[in-house]
Amino acid sequence: MKYRITHTTTFIYKARVGLCYNEARLLPRDLPHQKVLSAGLEIEPPPQDYYERFDYFGNRTVYFSIQQPHDKMIVTAFSEVETGVSSLTEGAAALSWETARDRLRSDLSEEIISASQFVLNSSMVSVSEQLLNYAQPSFSAGRPLMDAVNDLMQRIYQEFKYDPEFSTIATPLKEVLEHRSGVCQDFAHLAIGCLRSLGLAARYVSGYIETVPPPGQDRLVGADASHAWFSAYLPGFGWLDFDPTNNQVPGDRHLTVAWGRDFADVTPLKGVAFGSGKHKLKVSVDVLAIG
Amino acid sequence: MLPADKPMPRSITQFYDTRLEAYDEMYAGEGQLQPHWQSLTQELDRLGREGLERRHHEAQRLLRENGVTFNSHEGLHGTSRPWQLDPIPLFISAEEWSVIEAGLIQRAELLNLILADIYGPQTLIKEGLLPPALVFGHAGFQRACVGFKPSGDRPLVLCSSNLARGPDGRMWVIDDRTQTPSGAGYALENRMVMTRIAPALFRDSHVKRLAGFFQPMRDQLARIAPQNREDPHIVVLTPGPYSPSYFEHAYLANYLGYTLVQGDDLSVRDGRVWLKSLEGLHQVDVILRRVDDAYCDPLELRKDSRLGVTGLLQSARLGHVAIANPIGSCVLENPGLLAFLPKISRHFLKEELKLPSVATWWCGQENERKFVLDNLDKLVIKPIHRRRGYRAIFGARLTLAEQAELRSCILHNPHLYTGQEMVSFSTAPSFVDGWVEPRHAVLRSFLVAGEDGYIAMPGGLTQISPQAGELDVSNRAGGLSKDAWVLSNEPVEYVSLWRQPRNDQVLKFRTDPLPSRDADNLFWAGRYLERAEEAARLLRAIFLLRRELRDANGDVPKPYLHSLLRALTHVTGTYPGFVEDDAEKLIKSPQPELHSLLHDVHRAGSLASTLQGFDKATKTVRDHWPAEVWRIIDAIQQDWDDAEDSSDAGSSRTQDRLDHLIMQLVAFSGLTAESMTREAGWLLFDIGRRLERSLGLISLLRATLVPDMDDVAKRQLMETVLVICDSLNSFRRRYHSYMQLPTVLELILMDQQHPRSLAYQLDCLQQHVAELPRTQGTHRLGEDERSILEAYTALRLADAAELSKIVEGEGYCKGLEDLLSAQVESLWRLSDVITSSYFSHSQPPQQLSPQQQDEDI
Repeated sequence: MKYRITHTTTFIYKARVGLCYNEARLLPRDLPHQKVLSAGLEIEPPPQDYYERFDYFGNRTVYFSIQQPHDKMIVTAFSEVETGVSSLTEGAAALSWETARDRLRSDLSEEIISASQFVLNSSMVSVSEQLLNYAQPSFSAGRPLMDAVNDLMQRIYQEFKYDPEFSTIATPLKEVLEHRSGVCQDFAHLAIGCLRSLGLAARYVSGYIETVPPPGQDRLVGADASHAWFSAYLPGFGWLDFDPTNNQVPGDRHLTVAWGRDFADVTPLKGVAFGSGKHKLKVSVDVLAIG
Repeated sequence: MLPADKPMPRSITQFYDTRLEAYDEMYAGEGQLQPHWQSLTQELDRLGREGLERRHHEAQRLLRENGVTFNSHEGLHGTSRPWQLDPIPLFISAEEWSVIEAGLIQRAELLNLILADIYGPQTLIKEGLLPPALVFGHAGFQRACVGFKPSGDRPLVLCSSNLARGPDGRMWVIDDRTQTPSGAGYALENRMVMTRIAPALFRDSHVKRLAGFFQPMRDQLARIAPQNREDPHIVVLTPGPYSPSYFEHAYLANYLGYTLVQGDDLSVRDGRVWLKSLEGLHQVDVILRRVDDAYCDPLELRKDSRLGVTGLLQSARLGHVAIANPIGSCVLENPGLLAFLPKISRHFLKEELKLPSVATWWCGQENERKFVLDNLDKLVIKPIHRRRGYRAIFGARLTLAEQAELRSCILHNPHLYTGQEMVSFSTAPSFVDGWVEPRHAVLRSFLVAGEDGYIAMPGGLTQISPQAGELDVSNRAGGLSKDAWVLSNEPVEYVSLWRQPRNDQVLKFRTDPLPSRDADNLFWAGRYLERAEEAARLLRAIFLLRRELRDANGDVPKPYLHSLLRALTHVTGTYPGFVEDDAEKLIKSPQPELHSLLHDVHRAGSLASTLQGFDKATKTVRDHWPAEVWRIIDAIQQDWDDAEDSSDAGSSRTQDRLDHLIMQLVAFSGLTAESMTREAGWLLFDIGRRLERSLGLISLLRATLVPDMDDVAKRQLMETVLVICDSLNSFRRRYHSYMQLPTVLELILMDQQHPRSLAYQLDCLQQHVAELPRTQGTHRLGEDERSILEAYTALRLADAAELSKIVEGEGYCKGLEDLLSAQVESLWRLSDVITSSYFSHSQPPQQLSPQQQDEDI
């Protein structure tokens, strides 16, 4: 599938801002199953400083700074992406979750060392007794990891209420668990926390999901906005994505922008502005299938 | 006083008691005096307790006067306590030092290689020499810094380790400081004091000099500059006056000749770091930082930090600024690392570790974890990262319930914990409460990278435990410090910190840019100084008058005392006070109001709050004052705090204290006038003073001499005004005994030769303002220049006789009032213009986060 994505973020300041610094992770990654045909940022007013780099996790990261007084900043990311379906090699489905856990601890291949970082706590996801308890029913002894994570994803989808009123981005996992509700970020964090509590590696993926519902299917939640899901690591096979908000394994209608340990690693746009007033923020996302 | 229960020994060392059953530095554990301590024991016996006590007092006096402090708690209400120095140094023989030194150099080299590897190729992790969780799970591992091109061959510019001697007599490393190693400045100050209090012992002992460390440090910081290496602009980045070792930051900046800055003095533009200075933006080449890793850049690191520089990481990433130590160095401050050093040393250096570390077991490994859990009551449990609230836990001190809790914490996150052997450190003779006692001692070493390897400071900062037998030896625990003397077998050459220019080098004259924040604080230091002096002089006059009235049994009419009380409210700006609503009542019984104006810190305009403002402004620019001036600053605040206990505001003690304060303030003015170079800093300071003195004088005159009153009262008032303005003597000399308003005005308003007159202040202001840096090429006067010109011209055109006329029916000197109110307007405009054009009023930062995002799922 081919898509054109337009992601616009508008900051309106109550008082003039003389100087601001930003970091954007809005440009999609190139992946075996995802080809970025074109991607770029349009920034208004134009920044004096602009540098692009790949961050620690390989995400395309832009640093820019505006050094002239402004009342409003508009950052628009345009990209065109061709997606396919990723699949793991044969045998992945049979890998038991205990084997996966043990290999993460003992194996010293470069890939596994790198994946082992995603077992550890991160700023927004820390393991806990509650997370472990929630995860356990899906992880019976000897169960294949893929199957168990699928089950976990399904339980989150069924047992948690999608409620944009309830959550801000910083909702602690404890509250999400208690109230059984949240938004896509929360569900991704929740699943990641569950997997880490079991000693498994899981990462947070930010991206988009296609806007127009195909005929005969329900409209997918997450349309017209940035989206998030998670990815679990199967040692020896690779990473596999799961979207607990929509209870599905992402295919060619999910577009990956960036990944990290949790939301904090992949915040689409963050910054520091010097000015005394408050600001208002508006985000709009358009994902258009272009063939 | 000596404690009565102890006998007075004739020889102080004969009765030195090493009962702590630890290795003692002086006796090497065998009851045999070490030869290199001989000269010290002789000296101690010669001095006796009284002599030692004298030295101790002398040391504390010097430290206090030099303003050496350590803020024991961070934050506004932290107490800053004087630095404590033991008059008995720690002796280290030349032979022993060479072994320690070699070990330290090897260790620094090793830590440097590990740092470069962790943020570079990570071969140690890939080859199994470092467990991934030990690095990736450490809070100090900054992913944003991976792949940075290091500045220089040795990214770890400074390195520090805490050493202690174990019971076997060997030196052990307890832990390392790599992020912002502190203490070198205190070590230097300790040395300065020791050479003052024990010059002969110092000379005869052939002690190695500390300059041998600071000179290479300066060289190395210049060498890592990405540009401008001949004459790099180096700044010391401090978290500010409330950080525990702020004294040291200012002291080192001063000693090394660097600019002391705080985060918002710097700004990143074009990927480069700039200092906001009075003259505009000035590029910074090297940052010697004292701000912790995580707080260095709110954009990429901790976003709640107000101590960092937004965009700093990007500038470092681009290689446009060198930072010592590089951000991310905290990853080495990990006790778990100690367990892996021997192997890594063999791997990288093909050498065994020369200095062993305290035995450490990292709980991220199964066998080690089991060992630690089985021996919880015998070990010291340390989390892998030092954070607020995380402390070393002595397993033996835990109750069973606490042990169980700790066990469960370890089991939940084993990779975050280590167990360490509990080592009983050696003791060293220390002078505590009048006795020479053995105290556990820890030596903090300092190393700096050089072209050919690391260079160790000969000696270091020794800290001794506050209580006998206590092993927790740290500043925060309230410990004392000692100077460490590394002895040399031959006489030691004097090392100068001044660089010798090469033959062909043309030395450029350069004045360092004045950071805008410093300009702001210097300006306010000047204003508070004058404001305090005005208030103190006026208060003193009022108390004197009240006593005279009391002595005259209250028969004398008091209109002019009331005028002074009203003037006090006007001059200090403490309305309503003696002028509004309840004025009548207050004037009848002014005592509580006067007391509040003297001592109420929370009341803006009171003398106490003005002095507090003065203290804060002067201390923030501590590196601008010569050492003698620091002493006055500290004395002013201290003496005034001590004065607060006397509640009787009218007593003669209050008078004495005001006298004393005025003398200190005048001394401050005099010393600064004599010792500050006439550069931008001085200009701003003196502009602040002149402006405030003008405004104070005008307030005083408007409250006292403008209103009409009977001749007797007026004459008395004029005399008092002259006293307050320190002008009575000049007046007598010039006009003999004629006390008339026009002559008084002539002296205190118009006389350009009289340093207390308004004309004198305006003249100074006009000259200073003309010297302020401004945009080149414009022929028009700046608004600041116009304001002062306007005020000065109006004053010069005025005629004293005209000003003194009472207008019929108005009941006051209208001419004088009109002139003075116009002056106030011009002066305030001047103040506003200077404030907005020369001081960095950095606007507050706000986070642009997606937190408030309206439409996101």
